[in-house]
Amino acid sequence: MSGAGSGSMSRRELFRMIGATAGGAAMFQAMSSLGFNAESPYKGPIELQGTPKGASVLILGAGIAGMTAAYELRNAGYKVQVLEYNNRAGGRNWSLRGGDSYTELGGLTQKCEFDKDLYINPGPWRIPYHHRGLLSYCKRLGVPLEAFVQVNYNAYLHSSQAFGGKPQRYREIKADYQGHVAELLAKATRQNALDDSVSKEDREKLLESLRGWGALDGNFSYGPSEASSDRRGYEKEPGGGLSARPIPSKPIGLSDVLDSGLWQGIPNGDTFDMQTALFQPVGGMGRIGEAFGRELGPLIRYNAKVIDIHQDQHGVTATYEDRLVPGTTLKASADWCLCTIPLPVLAQIPMNVGPALSAAISSVPYASAIKVGLQFKRRFWEEDEHIYGGISYTDLPITNIGYPNTGYHSSGKGVLLGAYIWGLNAMEFTAMTPQQRVQKVLEYGSQIHPQYPKEFDNGVAVAWHRSPFTMGCYGMWSADARAKHYDDLCRIDGRIGLAGEHASFLGGWQEGAVTSSLDAIGRLHQLALAQGGKA
Amino acid sequence: MKSPFKYFAVLMLGAAAFAAHADDSSFTSSAGIGSIGGEEIYSRICQGCHMPQGQGAVGAGHYPKLAGDPRLASWQYMALTVLDGRNGMPPFGLPADQVRETRTVHLSDAQVADVVNYVRGHFGNAYKDKVTANQVTALPHPGTPAAP
Repeated sequence: MSGAGSGSMSRRELFRMIGATAGGAAMFQAMSSLGFNAESPYKGPIELQGTPKGASVLILGAGIAGMTAAYELRNAGYKVQVLEYNNRAGGRNWSLRGGDSYTELGGLTQKCEFDKDLYINPGPWRIPYHHRGLLSYCKRLGVPLEAFVQVNYNAYLHSSQAFGGKPQRYREIKADYQGHVAELLAKATRQNALDDSVSKEDREKLLESLRGWGALDGNFSYGPSEASSDRRGYEKEPGGGLSARPIPSKPIGLSDVLDSGLWQGIPNGDTFDMQTALFQPVGGMGRIGEAFGRELGPLIRYNAKVIDIHQDQHGVTATYEDRLVPGTTLKASADWCLCTIPLPVLAQIPMNVGPALSAAISSVPYASAIKVGLQFKRRFWEEDEHIYGGISYTDLPITNIGYPNTGYHSSGKGVLLGAYIWGLNAMEFTAMTPQQRVQKVLEYGSQIHPQYPKEFDNGVAVAWHRSPFTMGCYGMWSADARAKHYDDLCRIDGRIGLAGEHASFLGGWQEGAVTSSLDAIGRLHQLALAQGGKA
Repeated sequence: MKSPFKYFAVLMLGAAAFAAHADDSSFTSSAGIGSIGGEEIYSRICQGCHMPQGQGAVGAGHYPKLAGDPRLASWQYMALTVLDGRNGMPPFGLPADQVRETRTVHLSDAQVADVVNYVRGHFGNAYKDKVTANQVTALPHPGTPAAP
């Protein structure tokens, strides 16, 4: 989730799944064909005009896709009803806050014991500036935003196999990698090794650019200097007064940088999805879902578990159970239906659609992902290590440590994202109890922040395959499955259309939910117009 | 086009990553996963959804319980489910070089046979017939053959 928190999540596995860099070109191709790195097609608010009098739409799911549709269709004059399994709006757009409780599949309940105003986003946690659809709803719904820090030069890159397991600052690895590469390239240029590729007049420009890019000295070499320290940091930082003189730091050697593998973490903020500026809603990602929920009010029926979806020539009827009154069966009907139920759930619900849509629904495996929030007695990452927001990356199973991008210098407790994991290790974390997950995350995180054991207060762990409302994190289309089934999944079958991140080329991102929803309701609206009102 | 050399590099680096936490048996890696047997496959992977006692779970949808599921009478049904996935369940029979795309895990045919036998012999299930790796190999597998 773009998130899930999601997004071009493969990039986030840099350390865990090193192949991304090893096979960069192949990987880029694969990611492009999967739809990652694709730009949002959002072109501004949708205009639905001429809604037939009395036309109605039943929307299944009050996540971002469902509520985007409900908001627009209601404004266009449709009668709208939304059925939602959870007792809250948002779906994967969700923040766990102190006092919340969460029961995962299998029945284990966690009570979140964070202090007031502290939270984690189990799902999406960042919004790229170009996710214009989602951002426009934040604006229209009055959800205030603040900066999400993707790259923090003072956060860590960590390999348990390099530098004796000591975490390195991002700025040091980036400066040293860049400096050494610039030096090598300058050397090759000056030895005329690049003459076939670089014209004589470009040669001097290239050299000058390498000096600037790599912080090289007058001899085009990279070493301890004011220039390099101005990138990687100082042995003793400049100050004021008699003790002011800075002492340059000593770069790490090229071989050590390369052997460490930490260079894999350098481009973490360079991909389209991760480029500055990124945003987060003030108070947690869940603020968007909550704002939508307030806006839609009584249009949403909560605690409604859909158990059957049936269409005929007159309309669509969903049968659902009221989860608060087990055993009760209720029905909701409308002319049209927009179904945003995640595919692993939808695949199990009887629904009379054609074989093509049916096959598509069953063809998308959902990713395994885990997030763990840890509350500590103080913000030691700021107080001791001067890390204000951003993310540290590690080759340990926890993969990420995310620092809060808000509330800097607050006294009192603080909450870290202690782990954000995909793939095999996420499956292994899922197989544990929440308490075991938190324990393991503490053990691993202590290798990066030794303050963990002393400062730990409490934690919560969300494993997306144990999520009762999604049964997985997000739809993982293979290129093969997309070629075979994607269009069928998005095509309206009779009176039923699907939407959600799974019906987008922005898999796992909320923007995929928004844009798929707008695309689907635009097509539903055309059908409704063609029918001229109630069938 | 996929380059076999790139693939090789992936495997080598993957092995190094495994060594990184070889001292903690709680977690393995794409390199280490290849050496575990049916019981461990179940406890590391399957039980995340199907639960420690194979009891399954019910939410908006459900994870089928494996304890006493009559469909397990067909080892083919179960083996194909493990290989292909089903209704959002990830496939475990993709070639090792194709698992990244869907962030899933590759199990060998021997491992698929092993975990099928494990489940069909536990949680109250007591099927006597055992499936072999060769029998699994004979079933259709997802994905396309890796480039040479």
